[in-house]
Parts: sequence; C-alpha cells; structure tokens
Amino acid sequence: MNIIGELALWVSLPVAIWGASLAFIGGRQNRGDLVLSAERTVYAVLALITLASLGIVDTFLNDRFEYTYVASYSSLDLPTFYKVSGLWAGQTGSLLFWLLLMCGFSALAVWSNKTKNREFMPYVVGTLMVLQVFFLVVLLFADVNPYARLGFTPIDGQGLNPQLQNYWMTIHPPTLYLGFTAFTIPFAFAMAALLSGRLDSRWIVVTRKWILLSWFFLSNGIVFGMRWAYEELGWGGYWFWDPVENASLLPWLTATAFLHSVQIQETRGMLKVWNMGLVLTTFLLTIFATFLTRSGLIESVHTFAENTKIAFIFLGFMGSIMALVAVLIIYRLPQLKSSNQIESFISRESAFLFNNLILVATTFAVMWGTLLPLLSEGFMGQEISVGPAFFNKVNVPFGIAILFLMGVGPVIAWRRASKKNLQRNFLVPIGVGLATAAGLWFAGARVGLSVMTFGIGAFVLWVIGAEFWKGTKARARIEGEGLVRAFWHLVMRNRRRWGGYIVHVAIVVMFVAFATAPWYQEIRQTLDPGESAEITSPLGSTYTMTYEGLSTNFNDREDNLAWQAVALLTVEKDGEPLPPMSTEKREYIRPERSTSTEVAIRSTAVEDLYITLADVNTRAVQMRINDPTAQTATFTFMVKPLVSWIWASAFVLTIGALIGMWPGGAQTPAPASRSAAGTAEPAPAGD
Amino acid sequence: MLLALGMLVIFGVAIVVLEPLVRGSSASLERTNDEMSEAEATRRVRLLALRDAEYDFQMGKLNEADYRDLRAELQAEALEAMQVVEMEKNGRAVGAGPPTREAIEAEVAAVRAGLESGTTCSTCGSGNPPGSRFCAACGEALHLSGSPSA
Repeated sequence: MNIIGELALWVSLPVAIWGASLAFIGGRQNRGDLVLSAERTVYAVLALITLASLGIVDTFLNDRFEYTYVASYSSLDLPTFYKVSGLWAGQTGSLLFWLLLMCGFSALAVWSNKTKNREFMPYVVGTLMVLQVFFLVVLLFADVNPYARLGFTPIDGQGLNPQLQNYWMTIHPPTLYLGFTAFTIPFAFAMAALLSGRLDSRWIVVTRKWILLSWFFLSNGIVFGMRWAYEELGWGGYWFWDPVENASLLPWLTATAFLHSVQIQETRGMLKVWNMGLVLTTFLLTIFATFLTRSGLIESVHTFAENTKIAFIFLGFMGSIMALVAVLIIYRLPQLKSSNQIESFISRESAFLFNNLILVATTFAVMWGTLLPLLSEGFMGQEISVGPAFFNKVNVPFGIAILFLMGVGPVIAWRRASKKNLQRNFLVPIGVGLATAAGLWFAGARVGLSVMTFGIGAFVLWVIGAEFWKGTKARARIEGEGLVRAFWHLVMRNRRRWGGYIVHVAIVVMFVAFATAPWYQEIRQTLDPGESAEITSPLGSTYTMTYEGLSTNFNDREDNLAWQAVALLTVEKDGEPLPPMSTEKREYIRPERSTSTEVAIRSTAVEDLYITLADVNTRAVQMRINDPTAQTATFTFMVKPLVSWIWASAFVLTIGALIGMWPGGAQTPAPASRSAAGTAEPAPAGD
Repeated sequence: MLLALGMLVIFGVAIVVLEPLVRGSSASLERTNDEMSEAEATRRVRLLALRDAEYDFQMGKLNEADYRDLRAELQAEALEAMQVVEMEKNGRAVGAGPPTREAIEAEVAAVRAGLESGTTCSTCGSGNPPGSRFCAACGEALHLSGSPSA
C-alpha cells in the first residue's frame, strides 16, 4: 500500500501538469475535448492523492518506522485513533492532507458544474490544477516528502507530542484546513472571471456559497483551537495572539468582510474591484496561514518543524499570484466599473462599507503585529516582540465598532434612510443599551471598555429581536398570515438574512464573554496537604479548595510516562461541598522529556473554576523521597466568568450559518440559473 | 503483484484522462440557453428588491416619501431590464413595445402571488405551473402552500 501510495504521489504530478496545460489551451482555443480531458485530471489527481494519503495512514498503522515521518510522529504504543490522525500531525503529512482536501473540493466544484457555468470551467480547472502542481512540487522537491525514508529502521518511533493527543487537537486542524482549502474554489472562479473577461454577477454568486462554506469551517476551526488551548495548555486562556492563531483569523476577517460587501455588489452593482480584491486577498491569506504554520519562520506553539527552504518557495508563489492578479485586475478595470454610487451617508450600503473598512483595518493590524517581530529581526537585526497587549489595545476598539455596526445595519434601509425613521428605530434599542451599561456600572462593573461592550451588546440584541418581531408582523400584514406561519416564512424565505442575524447574536454573545476578561480572578498559592486556599468570584461566591495530597506514579512505559503527580482537592462553594477536583503534572518519556499539566475545570453557565498544578517538588517526586516536603505543591486557581458562553455561542453560530447556506446543501455552489438572480436567493435585497 | 498494481494505477489514470482526446468526446464551453442572462438576473433582483422595500416601509425603516421615491427608481430599473429581456427573447425587432409601469406592477403581484401559492421559487424567483413540486429552473423544492414545510 505504501509503495502504491508513493507511486501515486509521483504520478499525480505529470497528471496535474497535463491538466493545467490542457485546461488553459482548451479555454484559449475553444477545444471542448482538451477541457474534458483536463476535467478528468481533477478526478484522477483526487484518486491518486487519496491513494497517497491512505499509504501514509497505512505506514502509521503498521508502525513503519523506516519512514522519517512515521518515526517522528508515532510510536508503538500510540492509540490507533492518533495513528490515523498522524496524517496531519506534522508538517509533511499536513501538506499532503491539505492537498487531499483541495483535490476533494476541486473535484466537487468540477462535478457540480458539469452542465452550468461552462464558460468559466476551463480557467477554473486550469487555476485549480496550477495550485495542485504547486503543492505537489513542494511535497516532492522541498524536503517535505512524507514518504522520505531514514535509511534504517528504528525499533520505535519518537511518539506524538502528548499535548497534541487531545480530542480537540484531532478535529481542530482538519476543520481549519477544510476552511482554508474550500477557499481555493472562490479563488479559481475569480481568476476564471478575470481571465475570461466574464465579470458579470455570475462568478460572484457561484463563489458566495463556497465562501460561506469556507467561513463556516474557519469559524469552527478557530473555536476548536481556542477550546484546545483552554483545556490543554494550562495557562487558562483561549487566545494568545499567537502567530498561527492570527494566521487563521486573518482569512476569516477578510472572508467576513466579503460576505457583507458582496451584498452591495449584488443589490447595487458597486464595489466590484473591492470584492475581487477581497476574494484574492483571502485566498492569499489562507496560503499565508499554511506558510506561517509550516515554514518554521515564526516561533509559535504551532511550529513543530523548521524548514526554511519551503518558506522561500511559498513566498515566491504568493508573490507571483499577487503580481498576476494585480495585472489582471488593471487589465479588466473597465469591466469592473461601479454601476451605482452611494446615495446617502445614512444607508445600509455605507454601514456595510464601514464594516468592511474596520474588518480590513483589523486584518492589517493583526498582520502587522504578527510580522513585526520577523521584519524587525530581518531588517534591523533585533527582534521586537509584540505581545497580546498590543493586539488587545488595537483590536478591542475595532471589535466594539463592529459590534455597534451590527446593531445599526439591520435598521437602516438600502439607499437612504430618513433621520426621523432612524430616531424612531434607534430610540428604544439605544435606551436599552444605555440602561444596561448604567445598571452594570452602578452594580460595580467599572471597566469602561467592557461596560461599553455589554451596553452595545444589549443594543444589538434588542435590534435583532425587534427585527424578527417587526418582520413577522409585517409579513403577517402583507401576506395575511398568522404570526407563527409568518415567522416561519419570514426566516425560510430569506434564510441568508435571518441566518446572518443569528450569527450576529452568536458574535454578540462571544464578545460579551470576551469582555468579562478584566474580571478573571487568579491566585497562585503553595499548599501542604490539609491546607486551603480561597478565591472569590467576581459574582460574589467564594470557593474554598483544600489540598488533600499528591499521589505519584513512575516509569509507566505503557503510558509513556516518566512520572505523574496527581493532586486531589476538595472544593466548597460558599460552604457547600462540590465534587472533588484533581489536577496533574506529568513528564513524558517521548518525543523528548517534556512536562505537561492536566488542568481541572469545573464549568457552569455562569463561571469556570480552573485549577492547575503549577509546581511540585520535582526532585523529591523523582527521587521518591518519602518525606513531607515531597507533598508540597503550588497551585494556580482561577475563576473565569462566562467562558462556557463562548463555546455555546459557537453552537449558535453554526446554526445561523447552516440556515444561511441551507438550500442546495452546504457543499454545492448555487446552480447558475438560480443564482444569477443574485440577491434573489432566497429573497432579494436581503442582507 | 506490486508491479501489476502500479501499472494498473498508471494505465487507469491514462485511460480516464486520454479518453476524450482519443474518442473525441467534448465538454461544453458556452453558457447554456436555460441559464439566466444578465438582464434577466437584474430584472429579478429589482422585482424582489421592490418587495423588500415594501417590507422596509412596513417595518418603519423607510418613510413614505422615501419609499415612494425608491419604488419609482426600482420600477424604472426593472422596466429597463425587462425591455432588454424582451429584446433578447424576441430578437431585435419587437413590435410589442416596451412594458409599462402597470406591467411591472402586475409582475410584482404575480411574483407575490406565486410565492404565496408556492409556485414561484423562493430561491431563484422563477414561476412554475401550479402543482409543481420542484422548480423547473433551479431544481429547488417548492414550498407548496398548506404543506407543513411551506
């Protein structure tokens, strides 16, 4: 199987080159036979890369340690589950996995456009195949071939980094990769539109669904990563503005911007160049994300490998795409003229425009903060470190502004809105927002930015609630329906708009949960058995944790443990006993001696109690000294309000996104005939 | 065995990829006739925008004067698009004359009635004969009035 897999990987390169060449030649010369042959290569490469991937999984399952990749990321004792996910555990495998997903989406795009959008397909297929050729060349010639051999066969592999042996970690990368690779299709259609000169509304409608799908995966992938960090890394946070976290956020920001600005193009025929730019930028940012994750150029918790050759290949590739796209856009500029102008400053268009400006500004800020350390080291020989403080300072105001716009947009009509109507529509929601903020301020919540977030959050939620209510009433009146029926029709006949509002609710809840960060409580205390520590939550209750003792375990080769120290604590909340909690410190034998902390989390709807074993007397534990000092342990106790709201809001976001992309299924783009109606899907002028 | 499998993979791929060239089968490269034209798309967007403006008015986002202006603008744009659609349909020389404002009003009413009865596709806006279960233009399931999923 592994030999066939390796062969398949090599065979796929000439097939992909054949496909790319024939697609473009067929497109130029109007030769349907060449294009058909090129389309067949899309399926053929998918089959070959599937074989290659199965080959890698096979080497993992059969413990073939003569392969460098398997030896580096697996071991005899690794559970089967993690052996299968070994395909994306390291750099080389994840590049292959990335290619596999890209081939999957390419095949889906070709298959679903067998009878429509035919004028685009030669260039779509050509673009997709060029991208596949690029990834194949990287895989085969940039020292990242997952089939590379060691030259000898070790008895056992180095094992998988224990911190990666976590449920969230197995689903976080594939979900993100699905988001990244799905974006290849919008990019291919944008290129096809530019190359073929067919720049009417069609390409944008085809790509919109793909972008929503990609956005959906990206959002979930990012949240899964947050969850992993929170549960596994033991610092108590979920977001650290780590370069790779940022890399996944960047395309999400520009894709979000596109999902809004595309509506201006659909309803008003404006912002054509801007939208084209957003699609291309988002695609480049997804490539940039792989580049950051897998180049080893920037230190980060995600960079498990260093290989700078690949960094230059990626940079060159991104540079060429950028140059090509710039030339194409300039060449096609006459066809990308706006057919309208913004009529009024107070209109939904201008609200969307502000939203876009803020999202793009945030993108630049995050990008700058991520790259500054690298650039400063490269050009000034001295690394400037950019910490979370910078990102929070810059992005929190942007976040609050976006939040505010979420409340403004829905209430303003397209084209123009009269001041009087605005006043009438905003009076109550703004009152609700101000009352919420004032109430919290007087209740003792004295952090300006957070209180502002709560107030604006209440304003937005009120606006959205009122939209649902007024929309239902209007529908009931216009169509003469009962309220329940009118509500159902309202949502189902314009899923995109109402699904979008549900996503907005999720974002508001998430922002409110983030805004409680200034109230996170944390104490660090060294305890002997029998001693207690106390921590008071910002909401008033007091937790008392009594340290009961440490139990240790040594040299458990089966579990890859050098030693393990488990601290047991009994917990009381305001004097009422809660179930006991245990937190551990472990030192693993493989891949290299590394310690990790297993946190204890008690999560409720209101707040999380988060306990980590920060320090133990390692020497005493290792020497198995049987004296009382061996039992002394240092703990970090944290109370964090509303963390579970973040995870809950991700669920709401998923529901909203699913409603928004429902008809036709998430995986297929809108058929041209239906989608050419643009906003008519499912209803017009909707947002 | 391995060699045979390897050859099988290579020949399999070669047959699939080269078949169109050898047998001369071909893929279409043109927009098909049943796909919507740009003018048709514009017409539908405008008609549905008219309906949306009515909602905005009813929901208090537009005042009456603005609503009237906006309606007039959208009607004019829909009118223009309809003329182009007519021309595309009947060729250049049309004797029928341009559609009137009344024609647009009638069309909007028809779209609304169609949405209400479930014969107009809520996804693409195409009309369908009564009793249709799926849209003839885009294949979307139609929400027949009276059915629970409507």
